[in-house]
Amino acid sequence: MNYVAPDSLEDAYRALADADAVCLAGGQSLIAAMNLGLAAPGSVVSLRKIGALRGVDVQPDGGLRIGAMTTHAELAAMTTTAAGPELVARAARLIAYPAVRSRGTIGGSVALADPAADYPVALQAADASIEIGGPCGSRTVKARAFFRGLFETDLQRGEIVLAIHVPPGAPGAGAAYEKLSLVAGDFAIVAVAAIGKDLLDLAVGGCGPTPIVATGIRSSSEALAAAGRTLAASCDPPSDHRGSAAYRRRILPEMLRRAGQAAAQRASA
Amino acid sequence: MSTAPHHSSLVVNGERRDVLAPASTTLLEVLRGPLELTGTKRGCNHGVCGACTVLIDGKLARACLTLAADVGEHPVVTIEGIADERGLSRVQRALVEAGAVQCGFCTPGFVMALTSLLDSRPQPSADDIREALSGNLCRCSGYIKIVEAAIRLAEGEGA
Repeated sequence: MNYVAPDSLEDAYRALADADAVCLAGGQSLIAAMNLGLAAPGSVVSLRKIGALRGVDVQPDGGLRIGAMTTHAELAAMTTTAAGPELVARAARLIAYPAVRSRGTIGGSVALADPAADYPVALQAADASIEIGGPCGSRTVKARAFFRGLFETDLQRGEIVLAIHVPPGAPGAGAAYEKLSLVAGDFAIVAVAAIGKDLLDLAVGGCGPTPIVATGIRSSSEALAAAGRTLAASCDPPSDHRGSAAYRRRILPEMLRRAGQAAAQRASA
Repeated sequence: MSTAPHHSSLVVNGERRDVLAPASTTLLEVLRGPLELTGTKRGCNHGVCGACTVLIDGKLARACLTLAADVGEHPVVTIEGIADERGLSRVQRALVEAGAVQCGFCTPGFVMALTSLLDSRPQPSADDIREALSGNLCRCSGYIKIVEAAIRLAEGEGA
């Protein structure tokens, strides 16, 4: 395996032109996959020296532009009053363990698109966008269109996730991230992200190849229960050692209710 | 494409250590192999068990999930770099005194996690302690004594 750590995006794009090259961000999934024999890249392009991928910038509207190499620990420590960024911070706090949060990055997680990962759920509820760069320029794709399938995204060969744009959310909106896992730090059995006030935008993870989204749901118990039943009936959850598909369908409505009502309670009048 | 061994110049426990190894070599393999620092343990080798926990640039990290080539100039501290001038560090002494060491395989990882916690938060709550230790597995399941040792440290004993 070849290893390079370019200083600039331009050099990174050049290195990624090699058909057998992959990006290395925090490495918390890629190196695990290599150790398990699930990945054997011919060339690794480390993004750690590229300054353009770092930093969290508050936008004029109160939203954030989060550089792709921002770690889970940095996002977990973030204090914010806007609901969109708060939702991302709440999800970051529940990812894996301290030693993984200190190295794992939001860009790496988004690019991998693990069906049980936390950011894809939070980012779709928050209606975030993914800024992507490549040798032919950059483009921005809504998170709700970016995640296409099991470990499958809109990223094209040779492209790099540059940043995540998180809108602030409606004025006074609240945010909640509910995650059920076997033990603290494990991947979710079911996770629900919720943002809003009287009307909520919700996303459910762990119940299919990509998160499923429901927008404009009223925050009453009845409305959330009805939305939960609809999503449970239409989703396609896996059966694995964490839980059966039937179990995931069974708990989804209650998880949705808890997240939705927590978000609504955190909304300011 | 070059597949020649990659040269890494690491700073481990305050000493500059030069290593020539394939680029796919993890920091864990370099520590336990050429650097002969075998206190850092190889448990699951995919980031779940915490036995290989070290500090990179002062922050907790899984040595098994880090390429040696990707460490760069960031200083690495392993369990061998934790002991103070009196021998064991106060975290290590507290674990011994609480009877929190059974087979001992997981202990280096727990020492690193607890050391990092107490550096950033000298008086953590019991919940803070459990959260901080959530990424470390003890297959002897001796968690109660480990948490007891940490609570004693948080209460200022063993200083």
